This record gives sequence, structure tokens and C-alpha cells, in this order.
Amino acid sequence: MIHTVGVGDMKVSGTKGDLIVTHALGSCLGIAVHDPVASVGGLLHVMLPLSTIDPAKADTNPFMFVDTGFPRLLIECFKAGAQKQRLEIRAAGGANSQHKGENDFFQIGKRNFIILRKLLWKDGLLLKSYDVGGGNSRTMSLEIGTGNVTIKSGGQMKIL
Amino acid sequence: MALNILVVDDSSVMRAIIIKTLRLSQLPLGEVLEAQNGQEALKVLDGKWIDLALVDINMPVMDGEEMIDRLRQNPETADLPVIIVSTEGSETRKEALMQKGAGFVHKPFTPETLRDTILKTLGGLNDAKAGDRTLQGRNTRF
Repeated sequence: MIHTVGVGDMKVSGTKGDLIVTHALGSCLGIAVHDPVASVGGLLHVMLPLSTIDPAKADTNPFMFVDTGFPRLLIECFKAGAQKQRLEIRAAGGANSQHKGENDFFQIGKRNFIILRKLLWKDGLLLKSYDVGGGNSRTMSLEIGTGNVTIKSGGQMKIL
Repeated sequence: MALNILVVDDSSVMRAIIIKTLRLSQLPLGEVLEAQNGQEALKVLDGKWIDLALVDINMPVMDGEEMIDRLRQNPETADLPVIIVSTEGSETRKEALMQKGAGFVHKPFTPETLRDTILKTLGGLNDAKAGDRTLQGRNTRF
């Protein structure tokens, strides 16, 4: 089954062979978490780094922000049977609009990834791999069971 | 096989960061020992079996470069894998240092870069072996 994750959204699955996909990752960050033993994984598409700019919005939709979305992703994966020490975490996105000639004053993409790094370090987790920055939009997919994360960007496809 | 690792850096904060990264890297860790400078590190090496050393370059008393030179002169430690963790920016200096060590990590580094360099240096420890997660360290629980 294919699950599509929207912008500011998250999906978790514990069914082998399921594919979780998210499109249009620009400055947004896609975070994939997978436990290969339990065959449980989830994909999160966050837009902004910190929920402090709008806590009310974070209450209604925690998946908009890195600092509220990522802990929720982990909690949902743990509920589905994943274990922290087995987690494989991958991230993609965080592009920079300056590559398109626009002024990237707020550096949202870069800050999204920095906040993720801070959370990971605090929680004692490391990234398995990542593909961030640049100027292209990305599509990211996670296959439950194999844990394969695929990135499509600029007409090219690669396994992360 | 548990690995005994020696971390040599004059900054206690940097040693703590390196040690936390080691614990998160899912390496089969044995003892993790610390030294504040080259001279202290040589003393530790004199009494303990070490499998890998992570060494800073700019340190008081004895710097990392002299320490590595002395290591290489001693037949017992001549083959010890050494990863240099330094702020050195000059390419020429970096290359000269890399000749002495098995790997080089530039400060500031991400924990993933340090982990990948350690795994590469230790060679035989591929993902599958490192994945037995026997020593995952003290983790925060959610």
C-alpha cells in the first residue's frame, strides 16, 4: 500500500512492503525513521524549525515544526513496536532558495536541519544518512521492511 | 571483540563530545580512556592495550604530532590506528598530518562524520557487525 504524506504531515506503518512517500520537499525537511527488526517506520514532512513562533498552531498540527513533529514521529514509531537502539534515521530536503536567485533571508532549510541535529544529539541518536541543502525540490520515499529510502530530485533517483 | 579507545584532547568538552559520539556509534566499546596531552597519552599507552586513538594536534606539554611520532618509534604502538581530530585548515599541513595518522576529522565535525571515519579506519567493522548494538550507551528514553 502507498501512503502519501502531505506538507506538515506524518505517516507511520508497520506493514512490510508499504511505501510512504512525500513530495515537494523544498526548504521543508523530510525525516524517515525505520526499525528493520520490527519492520516499523514513519515519514514526517516538516515545514519550519521551531514551534515557538506559533504554539497554538503547533497544538493543532505538531507536524508543521521540527521540534514538535520529530518527537511525535518517534513516539508513534515506538507505539507501533520500534525500538530506539535499532532506529535508522535519514533526512532529506532543507533546500536553499538562493540557488534560484531568490534572497534566502530566513534560511529556513538550513535552520530546519540544525534543529533536527540538536534534537538528535540531545536524544542520543545519529543520522544513518542525509541529503540536504542545494536548490532542488525532492521527493522522498520509505519502504517498510527493507528500510530503503529513495530520493528523486532534478530527474535523478538515488538510494539514501 | 571490545575496543579500547583513547581520546586525547586538552579540552574536556571536546573529549566529552567525542566520547558521546563513540557511544552512539554502536561500536563494541571496551574501555574509553582519556588524556589531556601527548605525554599523558603515552603514559596511558604504556600500561594499557589500546585499539584506536583519537588525537588532537594543538595541546600543551606535548602536542599530538610529537605524540604520534613517538608512538611510531615504539614497536609496540607503531601500528596503532590514529585518527587526528584537529582544527588544522591548511591543506599542506593536513596532508602531512594524514601521513602520520590513519584518518583525519576536521573540527568542527558532525557526529556522523566522526562515526564514519572511525568505522572506515577500523575497516572490518562493517554496518552489520556494528549493528549488534551491544553497547548503545546511556540513552535518553522518550
